[in-house]
Amino acid sequence: MEHRGIALRVTSIYKSFGGRLVLNGVSIEARRGEVVAIVGPNGSGKTTLLRIIAGLEKPDKGRVEIHGRALLVFQENLLLPWKKLRDNIALGLVYAGLPRREIERKVSEAAKLLGLTEYLDKYPWQVSGGTARKAAIARILVLDPDILLLDEPLAGLDIRTRRALLERIVAIAHEKGKTVIVVDHSVEAVAPYADRIYIMSYPPTRVEASIDLRKTEPGKRLSLVYGVLSELGRRETLGTTRGEPRAGT
Amino acid sequence: MGFGVALLLGLLYTLHPVLREAIRALNTVLQSISVLIWIVVLVMVFGVLSPLPPILVASLVALPIVLAAVVAGLDSSSRKLAELATMLGANKLQYYRDFLLPSLAPSLAGATRSALGAALRISVVAEAFGSSGGIGYMIANYYNLAEPRGVFAWGTILVVVMILLDKLLLEPLEKRAARWSIEA
Repeated sequence: MEHRGIALRVTSIYKSFGGRLVLNGVSIEARRGEVVAIVGPNGSGKTTLLRIIAGLEKPDKGRVEIHGRALLVFQENLLLPWKKLRDNIALGLVYAGLPRREIERKVSEAAKLLGLTEYLDKYPWQVSGGTARKAAIARILVLDPDILLLDEPLAGLDIRTRRALLERIVAIAHEKGKTVIVVDHSVEAVAPYADRIYIMSYPPTRVEASIDLRKTEPGKRLSLVYGVLSELGRRETLGTTRGEPRAGT
Repeated sequence: MGFGVALLLGLLYTLHPVLREAIRALNTVLQSISVLIWIVVLVMVFGVLSPLPPILVASLVALPIVLAAVVAGLDSSSRKLAELATMLGANKLQYYRDFLLPSLAPSLAGATRSALGAALRISVVAEAFGSSGGIGYMIANYYNLAEPRGVFAWGTILVVVMILLDKLLLEPLEKRAARWSIEA
């Protein structure tokens, strides 16, 4: 089969807002079970790209080919503060009309996977930002998407929580065969965990580099990406997030 | 009554851009009409002995305050919440019930506190103009009898009632509702 293993293929996407070209012929692809990172400066249309893949935005031109169902975890947690984490996570399952016992089973499973079990009976305003983030991811994960789209999932989290969260996301992708597309503005945060990384240019955005990291050890991935960024003259723009220590220090 | 009408208009506000503009315009008109005009017109329509003018004036004073809060709440949260609801497979009814209406609670609680205070103060004036009972009527009555002690006594009762209402009901309600703000 021609598309065997391909979960997502985005071909030559163009998108403008108010006459301003944001996405300038962006093409990316992801295989099943892969963690793909899309890294670019703020305002480079990364979120727009995810929204197009999720079907929330229409491209002006180009093609999105999705094998399976793609669901987006928004940049904002958007947890409903009037519902406990358990009920927030269960929302999509309730709307799908699943039996109560099945909902409870799926919620417990997702909570276990993301380390949320002890917080299920808390309200969003009673938990930390990291826990809320995990709950927002769990809310989408229980719906069993083939492609999980994560828009800046690490924003506002401390370095330890970031690592823990990314490790869990990688485990979910590899063990459950889910494709994960994660968007961030810092290569340091995502490079050690990604199977493939796309470097986006300044707007109007195009893919500046696509780096296959699958055959590179996690500990050496960042050096490889830095090498490419240096060649592009982009190391300083996509390196350390302000005020945060570099990975491994 | 003002609260209910504001909420209903708020729901209509989400349905169509034309309704959105119409409701914005309506609120601007409501905010610009003097309370005195409402009182005089309503007393003329319902008569001096009717209990309706103070109630309606209070509602008309509360309505634009609550409606402005509803509209601001809808403008700030509805798009993202609507997208999330779509992503989770919610239908229109589920969206309104589980997402939109509860999300308005923080702005509604704050507006209710302001609106109720304003409505109470204004309804007293309406009672003084044309009514056969209520604090405003009693204050006007003692004024006509040249009894300042009666005026001060009823004025004090009004202030105490308003403080108790605010501290025992509205302030705790506002604090509780603030927890329902959707955080980024």
